[in-house]
Amino acid sequence: MAVIRGRQKKSGGEIFTASMADIVFLLIVFFVLTYNTEVDRTQVDLPETWVRKNIPKKAAVISISSPDQGEVVRVSTGEEMSLPVSTNEEVITFASTVVAQDPAKEFIIKADADVHYQKVDAVLDALKQSKVKVIFLLSDQKTVDG
Amino acid sequence: MGVINIKKREIESEIFTGSMADISFLLIIYFMVTSVFSATRGLDFALPEDNNETPEIKQEDSIDVFVQPGGDLQLDGNPMAKEQIADKLLPYIMETLRENPKKPVILRTDPDATYGNMIYVFDILRTPIEDGGIKIETISIPTQREISNIWTMLGVAQ
Repeated sequence: MAVIRGRQKKSGGEIFTASMADIVFLLIVFFVLTYNTEVDRTQVDLPETWVRKNIPKKAAVISISSPDQGEVVRVSTGEEMSLPVSTNEEVITFASTVVAQDPAKEFIIKADADVHYQKVDAVLDALKQSKVKVIFLLSDQKTVDG
Repeated sequence: MGVINIKKREIESEIFTGSMADISFLLIIYFMVTSVFSATRGLDFALPEDNNETPEIKQEDSIDVFVQPGGDLQLDGNPMAKEQIADKLLPYIMETLRENPKKPVILRTDPDATYGNMIYVFDILRTPIEDGGIKIETISIPTQREISNIWTMLGVAQ
């Protein structure tokens, strides 16, 4: 049987990649603009609220982990990674030092919704004693379902 | 005079961009991994400026909201179930403020209640009231130490 071998014409299969650079740079610009360094990596289930106000960047953070994780209190100036503290006096010392450097410094309380209020009360009391002026209670957006 | 036309060989000038995609994707991956879409909103409250004067406290001059373990309330001493709070708390406060718009709301929370219970009530108190300009002017969140001090000042044993 005769086999006819025809020379196949190579079709130039090419994916158009010229716009890829645009998309990639757009993504990079987006990430650069929205980039936030995380100063506290405590995983918390935040309480949900309807009323939410913008929290200033670089505010000092005091986080309280969930009861499952031992309700550990961690503090951060907002510029450095958070460190655990064990006593209320340490919170007062930390907050007093921060307020001494910047009397208008805002503080964020980032606490798990299931934390016993006693723990939050102790932190609030420490901040009041340290003459903190504005406190933000970090929350998630409440939804109709929630 | 004869002109000799020499065909110049064109040198292709090209910047090699083959590695640009690699670098770009590397940057994207870096930002995706390290970037945090952190929650940056919440409820705020300002603490009173420190003055050395001790305020005169009269119980009848304020609206007392006491959050109990489980989320139920005691509103001026009267019990209110958690399910009723969303519908009944603000109307009660509005009614009281109509008589005396300056009345502060004191939000107390039992130490055994959860933070979520307290925030639930605080969020409702912070909700803007659309009723003839009536609004809660002051919400006070005293700490256990402050409450103890007040009871001691009033000579009430806890």
